[in-house]
Amino acid sequence: MKVILLAIATLVIGLPGFSQIQINGVVKDNNGEVLPGANIFIDGTYDGASSDVEGKFSFKTSEQGVKTLVVKVIGFKEYKQQISLSKNINLSVQLQEEINQLEAVTISAGSFTASDEARRTVFKAVDIATTAGATADIAGALNTLPGTQKVGESGRLFVRGGDGNEAKTFIDGILVLDAYSPSAPNTPSRGRFLPFMFKGTSFSTGGYSAEYGQALSSALVLDSKDQETLTRTDIGIMSVGADVAHTQAWARGSLAGKIQYTNIRPYFGLINQEIDWRTPPAAIEGSSAFRHEVGKTGMVKFYGNFNHSDFSIYNHDIDDYSIRQLYDLTNDYRYVNGFYKTELNKNWSLRGGGSYTLLKNQVALDDINMVEEERGIHSKGVIEGSLANGIELKTGVEIIDRDYRASIDTTTQSLTFHELISASFAEIDIYASNRFVTRAGVRLEHHSLRNEFYLDPRISLAYKPGSAGQFSLAYGKFRQSVKNEYLRWNDQLKQEQADHYILNYQLIENNRTFRAELYYKKYNNLVRIQDNEVTNTGHGYAKGFELFWRDNKTFRKVDYWISYSFLDTKRTYLDFPSSTTPSFASKHNFSAVYKHFISDLKSQLGFTYSWTSGRPYNNPNEVGFMTARTPAYHDFKFQLELPA
Amino acid sequence: MKKQLIFSVALLISAFANANDQYLEAMQKNIMIVYTSKSSDEIQQAVNSLDRIGGAEKTKWEPYYYASFGYVMLANREEDGAKKDQWLDAAAAALEKAKAINPDDSELTSMEGFIHMIRVTVDPAARGQQYAGLAFQAFSKAVQQNPENPRALALLAQMQYGTAQFFGSPVTEACGTLTKAIEKFDTYKSENPLAPQWGKEMAVRLQAQCK
Repeated sequence: MKVILLAIATLVIGLPGFSQIQINGVVKDNNGEVLPGANIFIDGTYDGASSDVEGKFSFKTSEQGVKTLVVKVIGFKEYKQQISLSKNINLSVQLQEEINQLEAVTISAGSFTASDEARRTVFKAVDIATTAGATADIAGALNTLPGTQKVGESGRLFVRGGDGNEAKTFIDGILVLDAYSPSAPNTPSRGRFLPFMFKGTSFSTGGYSAEYGQALSSALVLDSKDQETLTRTDIGIMSVGADVAHTQAWARGSLAGKIQYTNIRPYFGLINQEIDWRTPPAAIEGSSAFRHEVGKTGMVKFYGNFNHSDFSIYNHDIDDYSIRQLYDLTNDYRYVNGFYKTELNKNWSLRGGGSYTLLKNQVALDDINMVEEERGIHSKGVIEGSLANGIELKTGVEIIDRDYRASIDTTTQSLTFHELISASFAEIDIYASNRFVTRAGVRLEHHSLRNEFYLDPRISLAYKPGSAGQFSLAYGKFRQSVKNEYLRWNDQLKQEQADHYILNYQLIENNRTFRAELYYKKYNNLVRIQDNEVTNTGHGYAKGFELFWRDNKTFRKVDYWISYSFLDTKRTYLDFPSSTTPSFASKHNFSAVYKHFISDLKSQLGFTYSWTSGRPYNNPNEVGFMTARTPAYHDFKFQLELPA
Repeated sequence: MKKQLIFSVALLISAFANANDQYLEAMQKNIMIVYTSKSSDEIQQAVNSLDRIGGAEKTKWEPYYYASFGYVMLANREEDGAKKDQWLDAAAAALEKAKAINPDDSELTSMEGFIHMIRVTVDPAARGQQYAGLAFQAFSKAVQQNPENPRALALLAQMQYGTAQFFGSPVTEACGTLTKAIEKFDTYKSENPLAPQWGKEMAVRLQAQCK
């Protein structure tokens, strides 16, 4: 009996000091750097310690037999080791870094990612609404970033010597065929999409993912919001029109709609425009968005937009002002976009969707009438996920089907083409560590018109030597169909092509960002018009460097950024007699954006200043082609936002 | 024989009591550190200890609750936004473990809101709307779960105050909630010797602005 009692006593009291074992050691990462603050302990017990500044630890335990030693540090994989507690132990533990996509190096070459969720972003979704002069126009805000060339009379995005149609917009990964409202010749247009619909934007000026095709110079990727949380009605009255918007939110979904009427006529009556309008632009536009959660992790989104606008204008002859020509445009636009995403399991997710676009322009030039109609379908499915820790795969398929028809009432001939592009792509991200990542992708496209296959490689590398600065390199091959106005004459025209080479350095630390980027872009198969014949023999290049500095740390309540772009570009294309800088390209672009938050008034004051050096144009009175330069373009915009 | 049995039972009980003392003692020591320490290293060590205690005491929510609190304190003293987020991620992960043991508890729901509230400070312009909304939701829920909980009331008051200030509306509602919170700080007693105690100072400081 006594023996049993003694055994019980031994069991329950645990006999401190009986045979305490000392465990010493050091914790390091896989580069041999010591890790302070690690938690080292015997699993399931109180016994353990934290590592000190030299990564060393030491503790005693009364546990016996074979136990599990656990080592934990934030940012590293948990380490477990069986140890036999019979004598003192000395350990050296090496921890494997966890690949943390929020902290790890990112591919920054060519891309400006704006998200309210990501942690180290250069540009935020909210910036679009609060940049002076952008008036909540997406392109307006992006035009203050390096890599863009301001073309004041257009309002579109022009990227690194590319024409306006080389920059494409994608909503939830789905291509938007015509992202801008129609505008009269030489008047700026606005984007069709309101920035408030989006939770994130990624603006890439080159070297973008293999997922995005049919864009030669730039991809603007907009992610629509998953969920609206507030039921609200907004009524807006502007100097040029009015709008009504309503959002209805419920537990798992929301429906939002907006209708807007704009008529610029009263405004133009007030402020004299040196434009001879017959009827200034008026438009009615409606959009609606529906979101609903499906199942545990699924989400369905629909977005639709219609627009009807018209205007007419007199263009006066350059030599004799009394000679004028009427230009009358009626534009109808419908866009519907459906999107579905879901998680397949812990590691893999699926997203896909489709869009349908109808675009109809009725143009009258004096008494000649032209009707142009384009119907486009884009459909895409993507699977992405993780193959292993630090290896991410994205792969998908898509088709773009475009049907185009134009007719002019002076001839019975109609100009048509029907193009079907089928593509598949795969892209893999391999993180060698949190410091080094490689992204390799390929895109395979088939084009129905020429019945040809194309294979476009894209590769990027990024290396982060310290905690904040990183280098990034990118190369890629990009292509897109030539503009409709040429393809309709000759549907055997090849795809225009561009090769991008980019070197980028980015430093984000303490709410300050510095970026420098160097690039070279080579164009091939550009449209060439010689002796009334349209061919693909054009070519060109663009090269330059860009600097960006943003600081919302140094001055209290002040956020400002400065960007500068230098561009050198020449093309032999269209009817150019020789290699020449096109009229949309400016050598120097400078922007400064300043925002000041005044807390007493709960308001924000901001200004944007832009300067663009003169652009080339052809002056027939001068010798040589496109040798004349426009004056430099200065633009100062001021904005004061007051609380409602 | 009977005596011996009684003796052994008594021994067993004392051993349990002993284990419970050990738990209380270890907890109190580390809770004091996360409440008062000014040194990040010390807080990190306390959080590590709390995490170990949590791993050993599978039915106790308090170790993970205070580990979560410690991580929020570490986040608070961090300047760098990305690192701040990393601490807050750790705080949220620890809190999840506490919630798995003790679901629907007002203190834990308050802590959840507190984490959201600190998330806002990383980037108020971009995150304000989203995380302030989440914090509001959590504090309101915490007050529902236990209307006597002074921390839930004080944190809710803080959010109400901030929102009123932002929109330039009167702070009467916020100050009303705050008065109630301060009352509860004085009267609210929990039977749990490890029940959370923090938050009164913050409430009193805010009250000064109400006057």
